Amino acid sequence: MDDYKYILKTEHISKAFGTLEVLKDINLEVEKGEVICIIGPSGAGKSTYLRSLNQLEKITSGKIFIKDELFLHREHNKTIERIAADKQKVMLLEIGMVFQRFNLFPHKTVLENVMVAPIAVRKKSKEEAMKLAKGIIARVGLTEKIDEYPSKLSGGQQQRVAIARALAMEPEIMLFDEPTSALDPELVGEVLSVMKDLAKQGMTMICVTHEMGFAKEVADRVVFMADGMLLEEGTPTEVFENPKNEKAINFLKSVL
Amino acid sequence: MKIIKRIVDIKHWKRSSKIAAIVTMAALALIVVLTVLNLSKVDMMNHASDQVKQMIVDEKDSTRKHLTITYNDLGVINYLSFTTTGAEAIKESYVGFAGQIYNANGGVAKFVSQMVNYTYRMLGCGENVLHGAKLTLLLTTLSMAFGFVLSVFLALGKISKNKIISAISKGYIFFFRGTPLLIQLFVVYFSIPGIFGFSWRGLFDTGDPEAVYKGAFLAALIAFSLNSAAYCAEIVRAAIQSIDKGQHEAAKALGMSYGQTMGKIIIPQSIRRMIPPLCNEFVMMIKDVSLVFAISLMDITTISKNIMTSEGNYLVFLPALIIYLIITAIFTFVFNKVEERLSIYE
Repeated sequence: MDDYKYILKTEHISKAFGTLEVLKDINLEVEKGEVICIIGPSGAGKSTYLRSLNQLEKITSGKIFIKDELFLHREHNKTIERIAADKQKVMLLEIGMVFQRFNLFPHKTVLENVMVAPIAVRKKSKEEAMKLAKGIIARVGLTEKIDEYPSKLSGGQQQRVAIARALAMEPEIMLFDEPTSALDPELVGEVLSVMKDLAKQGMTMICVTHEMGFAKEVADRVVFMADGMLLEEGTPTEVFENPKNEKAINFLKSVL
Repeated sequence: MKIIKRIVDIKHWKRSSKIAAIVTMAALALIVVLTVLNLSKVDMMNHASDQVKQMIVDEKDSTRKHLTITYNDLGVINYLSFTTTGAEAIKESYVGFAGQIYNANGGVAKFVSQMVNYTYRMLGCGENVLHGAKLTLLLTTLSMAFGFVLSVFLALGKISKNKIISAISKGYIFFFRGTPLLIQLFVVYFSIPGIFGFSWRGLFDTGDPEAVYKGAFLAALIAFSLNSAAYCAEIVRAAIQSIDKGQHEAAKALGMSYGQTMGKIIIPQSIRRMIPPLCNEFVMMIKDVSLVFAISLMDITTISKNIMTSEGNYLVFLPALIIYLIITAIFTFVFNKVEERLSIYE
């Protein structure tokens, strides 16, 4: 099955809201098992880029490949090569996403939150889904909270449930959109440690993050974005210790 | 089921609700006491003036009676009146309450006695008021139920990206909210059968003596359902659109289709937000249903109107108002309880 070079590849991704260009010609290749951290000042288009990967934002132009297969090709706000919707839907299931504000389903318990998509989308039986969900909830260390409603959990616990919910769809790529930005400082650690475990297990991850420590420690590659452009790309050592782009130098000075 | 459990669990009741419950219990207890103290007809008759008593004795074996005796027993309050016509007309009336008898020939007592009399008439006549209340509640509940089901489709239609579906839903809602309910009822009851060449009573067995009422009931049910659908649709739409965009995104990111997202994530959450305005709508509907007097269905309004016509006394509408108030008070209380319970999850 693994006869592809890049699990995810984007070519010339651009996005404009009216005349405001938020993404300008972004190219990125991701190999299986890679952990990529996207850093940069706010307003750089990091989240928009991440959201465009799983169709939460419609790109203006560019190509997205999943496992070397064309997933989307748009130019001037029009789809050029139409991929069958069914096929697109299946390809999208390879991508899981974790949001800054968790977006848990408040009317469902932790277990139900994790079970709902496998049953609805993967057509698993209730028993199968429950077994799967319990296993994943144990992985994020929340077995004792399984029947609680999200409102009864701390932010860190909620984010771990959100990670479990995404994992329950058994994606090959996980997108993290500032997963710790909405958390109290003392709760950041528990979420990062779950993410580190995931990285160790070989999950392909793309994280938009402000946690430079995490990026340094876990990332295989760090990408610096500013003003909708991808300005610097390399190993954490290269980017953090020897940045070339002036904006990257200034940004890193201010955050480190 | 969990929701019902929470509603019933008295430990979670607000203090004001507990007080309301205590007041209700006290009122019920008072009614029991008043029932026990209630006077019999004989007690009341004994209080009559000697002149009347004499007349009763005189006319005991006579076939032509000049004295008209009206006696109403409402269980907690009694009304007795003696009237004759002619030169030396007698007009005596008494109200019995809590073991005491009061003269009701003037002032407040007279007003009270008339209210008692009409309430008794409304409760005691052939098509009595309880029957009317049943009709009102049946029509309200069924119209709201059918209207709600239809309104979900209308609401989803209105926010649909499909322009034709959206336009149809918007047009429907605009039409039914923009025209008087009474005329909508007339159109369904009179115009539609006229246009399509059928009659509402003809839909039921012609041998059925109730056919005319059943036909009118069906027409009213259709008109009220169509109308409440338009009002409920706006409530449902607002509730659906009030759900955070992040919920749509999370469901989409998990690969759920639009239908699954709506059915499993958005609508279940929005139901909680719909309930308070839907309860309001229900109470409004109870009152709107009084329009059925226009097609001669026997509800509370029609019955009181009929009594007014036959008696020529306008006071009969006051007990009708009180009956409506009691019904809406009961529903408002119950709905407040439901809302209180539901807010726990938010």
